[in-house]
Amino acid sequence: MFVYEKKLQYPVKIKNINPKLASIIISQYGGPDGELGASLRYLSQRYSMPYPELKALLTDIGTEELGHLEMIGTIVHQLTRNLNEDQIRAGGFEPYFVDHTTGVYPTAASGSPWNAAGMAVKGDLIADLTEDLAAEQKARVTYDNILRLSDDPDVNDAIKFLRAREIVHFQRFGEGLRLAKDRMNEKNVYLVNPSFDQ
Amino acid sequence: MENNPETNKPSAPPAAPNGCGAGQGSLPGRCGALAFPFVAMQENNPVRFSRMEALQTGTLFPGLDLPFKAAIQAKTQLKNTALVELMALDFAIDELGLYLVTHSQDQEALQLYWSYIKLAQEGRQKYQELYGPLLQTDLTPEDGYAWLKDPWPWDEGGNA
Ligand SMILES: [Fe+2]
Repeated sequence: MFVYEKKLQYPVKIKNINPKLASIIISQYGGPDGELGASLRYLSQRYSMPYPELKALLTDIGTEELGHLEMIGTIVHQLTRNLNEDQIRAGGFEPYFVDHTTGVYPTAASGSPWNAAGMAVKGDLIADLTEDLAAEQKARVTYDNILRLSDDPDVNDAIKFLRAREIVHFQRFGEGLRLAKDRMNEKNVYLVNPSFDQ
Repeated sequence: MENNPETNKPSAPPAAPNGCGAGQGSLPGRCGALAFPFVAMQENNPVRFSRMEALQTGTLFPGLDLPFKAAIQAKTQLKNTALVELMALDFAIDELGLYLVTHSQDQEALQLYWSYIKLAQEGRQKYQELYGPLLQTDLTPEDGYAWLKDPWPWDEGGNA
């Protein structure tokens, strides 16, 4: 089960509001490579994993991604707090504002609401972990792009932390695949994989 | 692969010049499986940052610190509050825990893991005396229903 701990994983302290930047960063809340998809991808894939290392990786990383979702929500919330009328109209925030006011809604910056089609659960350890390697890289690139677009040091500080986590997760998923391989058929890793093929 | 005309079965694959079998290709060092993604295992007992530097970097391991642009990667100095100290300990525990999932035999890392857990228990107590409960099960009878105490983590000033 899950228990809420009343703190963030990493401090988020945004001094200046910036609704335009919030409407970009929301992509890591509900976009195709965002933290909501990441957590659901891993926490759903874990059920079909045959080895304890893989069950642990997907549970622990999936849980950490929920913490990242909370950090992104906090950044968006703090970037849009106490806006005045001019600030609402400034810099392209209106399309988000008209639908969600200053609530935090899981959507891609490009407009489509969060969709499970952006993640996959294939029920096969090689396919799923290979997807996870790609997912971590896609999240890393999204954070790179946010760093390219943002010049707010308070935002960038938290974004750099989240970006670094994607690289560590990529490494651990890669190691998980290697550990699993040692237990699979030596001649052909695809030969015996799900239990029903045995 | 050529078939042996007498048995009509594939003959044993000839060893490649690098000594790897037919289903294998060369890696620096030894042979690796074809058609299988490859990420090197992190070495045992890897070099580590201090826990505060780890929190500021986003990883405990210098080997996994691969920043976006060196110029904007200058590390922020986090204020050393009870919350930040607890975050650093909890982060080191999470990061070492993930490492231990794939390196469960690393005794040095395990020792460090236990020592961080012990420190985090103390840090948790220190934080909660100042700012209130972290978990609903941390409530004490003296303070009423302190779970309601503002600020929440996402509020302005919610991260001391
Ligand atoms: Fe991740």
